Amino acid sequence: MSHKAIPLPERKRLREKKIKKHALANILTHWFNVGMWLLLLPTGIAIISSPRLNLSPQLVQDFFRNLFGGPANLIKFHSTVGLIWAFVLTFNVLLGFRRYFVPFAASRLLLDRDDVEWLKLKPLQMLGFMKDKELPPQDAYNAGQKLYMYVVILGTVGILLSGVVMTFHTLFPPVLKQWAQPVHWVSVFSIVAGLIIHVYMGAVFPEEKEAFFSMFTGEVSAWYARAHHEKWYWNKVREELEWEDRVEAELGEIARHQQPSGDRPETGQVTS
Amino acid sequence: MAQKKRSGFVIDVSRCIDCRACLVACSAENNVGMKYTRIWVRDLGVKGEYPNLQRTFVPYNCMHCDNPPCTEVCVSGATYKDQDTGLVLVDQEACIGCGYCVDACPYNARYLDHERGVVDKCSGCIQRLQIGQQPACVTTCVGKARLFGDLNDPNSEASIALKNARTVQRLDYEKDGVHTGPNIYFINGEVLEDASVLPRDPRYPAAEATWKEILVPAVLAGIGLSFVGQATFFTKQLLEGEKE
Repeated sequence: MSHKAIPLPERKRLREKKIKKHALANILTHWFNVGMWLLLLPTGIAIISSPRLNLSPQLVQDFFRNLFGGPANLIKFHSTVGLIWAFVLTFNVLLGFRRYFVPFAASRLLLDRDDVEWLKLKPLQMLGFMKDKELPPQDAYNAGQKLYMYVVILGTVGILLSGVVMTFHTLFPPVLKQWAQPVHWVSVFSIVAGLIIHVYMGAVFPEEKEAFFSMFTGEVSAWYARAHHEKWYWNKVREELEWEDRVEAELGEIARHQQPSGDRPETGQVTS
Repeated sequence: MAQKKRSGFVIDVSRCIDCRACLVACSAENNVGMKYTRIWVRDLGVKGEYPNLQRTFVPYNCMHCDNPPCTEVCVSGATYKDQDTGLVLVDQEACIGCGYCVDACPYNARYLDHERGVVDKCSGCIQRLQIGQQPACVTTCVGKARLFGDLNDPNSEASIALKNARTVQRLDYEKDGVHTGPNIYFINGEVLEDASVLPRDPRYPAAEATWKEILVPAVLAGIGLSFVGQATFFTKQLLEGEKE
């Protein structure tokens, strides 16, 4: 990889330099989501009792039913926590729609040509083919993360809508409730399929250690950014340079304005 | 240890005159909405030739099956076979009224209460059984056509009637791995050949069938793939040591 060519002192400097990756609002929403999922996923699995579908171990069902005192209480807990989750997420997205959601979606979510290339190459490389070919540089999130983000967003909407139908079941016709259950399950477990990799890459995989801590501090080192998210890094650098140029230009402008005014007494002296 | 209970009805078809007092008693006892009924009396029509005419009425409700297909499909666990009494019950606090079980029941013994958004059915008047009384339909039946009791107990009224019966019919259903084993015994009459009382095939709504046949395999395959991928990387990490 390209970062191997970086000389040692430069690497050290890059390691110490921090780049902001996550806003505090996103960090808090992320960990709120984690907490709610920890409560909702096990209780949700314990609810699905249909022996014909056979989706949940009897042991899990019994454990949670006994813990909460019967299926009705378990469902009540699940739907109450679910409503809190749905309310806070909707509230956060609506509140931060222009400040966080739109910029995030516009700058970090869209797939570009490099991402398509990455998606073609990465699965093959994971299976052991085309190891010699270099992966295209990636944005703040790689193409796999971007794709997963779509699954999460769509899945969240699916969980939310179907959950509302099942919670307020007196208001909806049976056919909606019949479809709400598979929609809820598919949405959850599509997310879970990616979640396995998300949690592994985020919390266990050594190369991505910085990504894990960035979910607390919001920052990653410039070295990590350059090694893993090269396109994003150079964009950041370009932004920084542009900012510096702008500041320099503005300072120059101010200096130029100040010079004539500084000369004025002199010229005044000349005229007098 | 006491033997497990198998609560069921023994219905003497020859004694029913279609007065439907049982329907009224049931609705009053169980707060059944005016639009609905938990139990029925099926009219098999007039049979035979004048002057040898015969008309059979069949009191009908949940069969409290040994292997109920309705509990097989319930996602929330609201409908279940009670271990103490052997009755098939609905916990309406847990029911969301999707109607999977209504379609699955071969006896059409369940219905959707649209006002309350839940499924309802015969509960064997469990609230009465718990205080040592018989179900409302049984105590109200003037002709003593309906009997209720533990069919595993040879001394129960129902068991004795069953033993002394002229004919016994059980509307059993066995097909494609579903074997209901119903716990209503119709005695002293001919009911089996009539379509209005015979069990139908269990139906599975499109949503449930799609879920079982397509969505479950697809999503589980995805989860499996993702897990295997993750496990491979983790094993590699453990074997090769951590690199940065």
